[in-house]
Amino acid sequence: MAGQINTRLQELGLALPTPFISQANYIPYVQTGDLLFVAGQGPMRDGGPGSIGKVGGAISEDDAYEAARLTGLNLIAQANHACDGDLDRVVRCIRLFGLINAVPGFTNLLQVMNGASDLMVEVFGDRGRHARSTIGAVALPHDMTIEIDAIFSIA
Amino acid sequence: MAGQIQSRLEELGISLPEGPAPVANYVPYVVHGSLVFVSGQIPFVDGELSYIGTVGDDVTLEEGQSAARVCALNVLAQVKAACDGDLDRVTRCVRLGGYVNGSADFKQHPQVMNGASDLMVEIFGDKGRHARFAVGAGNLPAGVAVEVEGVFEIA
Repeated sequence: MAGQINTRLQELGLALPTPFISQANYIPYVQTGDLLFVAGQGPMRDGGPGSIGKVGGAISEDDAYEAARLTGLNLIAQANHACDGDLDRVVRCIRLFGLINAVPGFTNLLQVMNGASDLMVEVFGDRGRHARSTIGAVALPHDMTIEIDAIFSIA
Repeated sequence: MAGQIQSRLEELGISLPEGPAPVANYVPYVVHGSLVFVSGQIPFVDGELSYIGTVGDDVTLEEGQSAARVCALNVLAQVKAACDGDLDRVTRCVRLGGYVNGSADFKQHPQVMNGASDLMVEIFGDKGRHARFAVGAGNLPAGVAVEVEGVFEIA
């Protein structure tokens, strides 16, 4: 039987991407006690980057918001894997940290990061309300538009 | 009766601001067990954003330090709310993170961040000694010079 959160994802028309696994010497998440630390994720879609370039340059603010939302979906995909496919085990999204690849002078970083924050609340309701920090980066790996890491608590 | 930390704040001539409300779909802090995760705070003074600009350019090092101190006061205002107004419940400032919008050749990020670190030790004594990082950010939300986040342990 589908869990509540999976049902919610379907209602929202959202399919979780395949969790990205780096070839480098780190892993996508570490669980310690009931805390799940998820490594920085990018806006991956179908195994490749879904948004390349700087917001305020090649990428519009609206497109960057969507990239943040897609990145949030990749974080949830990792959490789903950590929870053996049962996202109902997510007790709380505790914290998000957003790094946004922006041209100099672009300061609407909070508006971009809202793409990820809005998604967490849409999917998890009050359990999705998190603490957050957002900054602009001069560059990001592969020139991705955004990178976000997360801490969840899971049961 | 005023608590010890409240008395210490009064000795230092510090009145904590009201913790700024988040401007989007996230919360100012999340309590998980004994840990409080505080969202990145920017330099609001009396509800107005201050310290807009770039350290090493139109913001001096000393102003950057003041900005870090103001951000840290806003962090503490959130911790106070998490403790239902009783800062004596703080058992440790565990970790601070500092993001500094510095000019391209600016290297004194730690000195800027000392504005926040010194405040914690002034107020909490040994309980205020924390782990820390300080990095340069390409941009910060709303163009502020400094952003500070924190993790605290409370009883």
